[in-house]
Amino acid sequence: MANAIDQTRRMLSLVTYLRERPGARVSDVARAFGVTEAELIGDLNVLPLCGTSFRGGDLLDIDTDGERIWWHNEGALAEAAHPLRLAADEAAALLVAARAVANLPGLRDSDRQALLRATAKVEAAAGEAAGASAGLSVTFESEGSVFADVDRAITEGRRLWIRYYSPSRDALTEREVDPIRLFAVGHTYFEGWCYLSEDRRTFRLDRVAEIKLLDTPSDPPRIEPRDLSQGLVQPAGDDPEVVVEVGPGGRWVAEYYPHDTAEELPDGALRITLRTPDPGSLRRLALRLGRDGRIVSPRDLADSAQKAAAEALAAYGE
Amino acid sequence: MAIAKAERLMNLALCLMNTRRPVSKRELRTSIEAYHEGSDDAFNRMFERDKDDLRELGMVIDTIESLDGEIGYLARRDRNRLPEIALDAEEAAALTLAAKVWQQARFAEAASGALQKLRAAGVPFDDGTDDLPAGAHSALEPRIPAPEPAFEPLMTAARERRAVAFDYRKANAVRPEPRQVEPWALECWRGHWYLAGLDRDRSDVRVFRLSRITGRVRLRGGGFTAPVPDHVDVRATVAGWAGDGSTGSTARIRLRRDSGYPLRARAVEILPVDADWDELEIPYGHGLDAWLAEFGPDVVVLEPAELRADVIDRLRAVAKG
Repeated sequence: MANAIDQTRRMLSLVTYLRERPGARVSDVARAFGVTEAELIGDLNVLPLCGTSFRGGDLLDIDTDGERIWWHNEGALAEAAHPLRLAADEAAALLVAARAVANLPGLRDSDRQALLRATAKVEAAAGEAAGASAGLSVTFESEGSVFADVDRAITEGRRLWIRYYSPSRDALTEREVDPIRLFAVGHTYFEGWCYLSEDRRTFRLDRVAEIKLLDTPSDPPRIEPRDLSQGLVQPAGDDPEVVVEVGPGGRWVAEYYPHDTAEELPDGALRITLRTPDPGSLRRLALRLGRDGRIVSPRDLADSAQKAAAEALAAYGE
Repeated sequence: MAIAKAERLMNLALCLMNTRRPVSKRELRTSIEAYHEGSDDAFNRMFERDKDDLRELGMVIDTIESLDGEIGYLARRDRNRLPEIALDAEEAAALTLAAKVWQQARFAEAASGALQKLRAAGVPFDDGTDDLPAGAHSALEPRIPAPEPAFEPLMTAARERRAVAFDYRKANAVRPEPRQVEPWALECWRGHWYLAGLDRDRSDVRVFRLSRITGRVRLRGGGFTAPVPDHVDVRATVAGWAGDGSTGSTARIRLRRDSGYPLRARAVEILPVDADWDELEIPYGHGLDAWLAEFGPDVVVLEPAELRADVIDRLRAVAKG
């Protein structure tokens, strides 16, 4: 639902925007402001109720026939039509984001330069408000050279060959992939159609051991891009359940693994229930945890970790 | 009632902007319909909130007392107008991409609000009405994950230079403990948010992971007692927790052929031993023992003895079941 402050923010900019564009199209303005036409019409219904009635009743005379928008008395409220300076939050949100992207290794140099120029100009225009962004920063991790190759493959529509490391199997595999998108959520990833698994797959750039651009044109089947708003790892409802019990030293598991429940136990311990399509991939976790935690179920996962540890100890003469 | 409030805020904004002399509260009450009803108390409270809301949107509202003692308000043009800003299409496009990174509603709105103001000021953003050549820019979608609830109060406190108190559970702690911190900087790294600041009880710099803050962040009296450094290396501290920090020394391990690619990738030296095993020299830092234990029977630690003992200790705990 539209929040009143955001709507006010938008309407103030809208007034300035419309003054410069008599007869603007509803569809164009809605797109420019990133709202639906219905939301824009909602704003346009409010604006004629706004003005400075104490000075003799100047209200914004803005109307629309549903297709175009007209402002008939833009001279009467001249001051309202000046662009408002940036608020501290606005400047911070924009500048922190711009700096984060500009620092991403592998970004095209032309994009980086454009972003740095834009950042400097926004900083200057924001004045004092820019100060709010000083204590905030975001870093995206990326492998510059891999990034540049994937980026090129996507824009040139070419297939990739990669040697990719899978931590759950501790193995490198060679695959051909038609890349679809590059995205950064902390680490940088690319999503594509993988011809080895004949399915869509997500690859983390720092796990790409080797990469080559092929001359084969990329030809992925039509697939909907994944919705990333719910997080990168989205276990399916019918994935097997794994229960892990950790002591205080293993509580980080709840921070790194998306889970269904994390039940507090005495003395700072946690019982974490999660789902994964491949429970075997959690053997590494069991080995890593040592005395800080153990797999409760499934039993065969716990057994395989125990067996691996015993085998490893044999090499030390135990 | 969202419409009613937006309409009221808009009217107040227009009244304050379109005047050269300060306007009194009384005048504002008579001229803005939404202020007509209710008691004086209710009006006063509403008026104060509305002014705060407009300030949050970036409006500078001056309060001026006239000769006869009446308080007047106005938003002066010179203090509210966005200075000239000229961005070319490429700069505008780069900024549009960057503004989409926020996943958290408040920042996403603030970033798009900033773009709206720039757009209204004539910056040539691509409205979707012009056709840009495909492939003109990096095909990247960066995302900043939504931070924990502690983020907003910490950000505000950092900006206003005010100390805060919160309960914090250290990585290995059985229970949370109260902390008093002068918040300096917030940083997002590898998708997690961290706070750096002065821990008042320890009189030293500390880095906190926001997800380990339990309960509410409360404001403490008084401002900062120590100067804020220009830069705090949050990443180096966090990398140390995660076991990525290197102490400069190295360890020697045996690694089964074709396994442990990430260990090979950071090895200083790799020598083949026989048909099945290689010997690696790798950087030795905090947390290496836990990492090596993950590889189970594919890794054998040779030296130092301390690391060998730590790994054996971990494996024993798992082997016991």
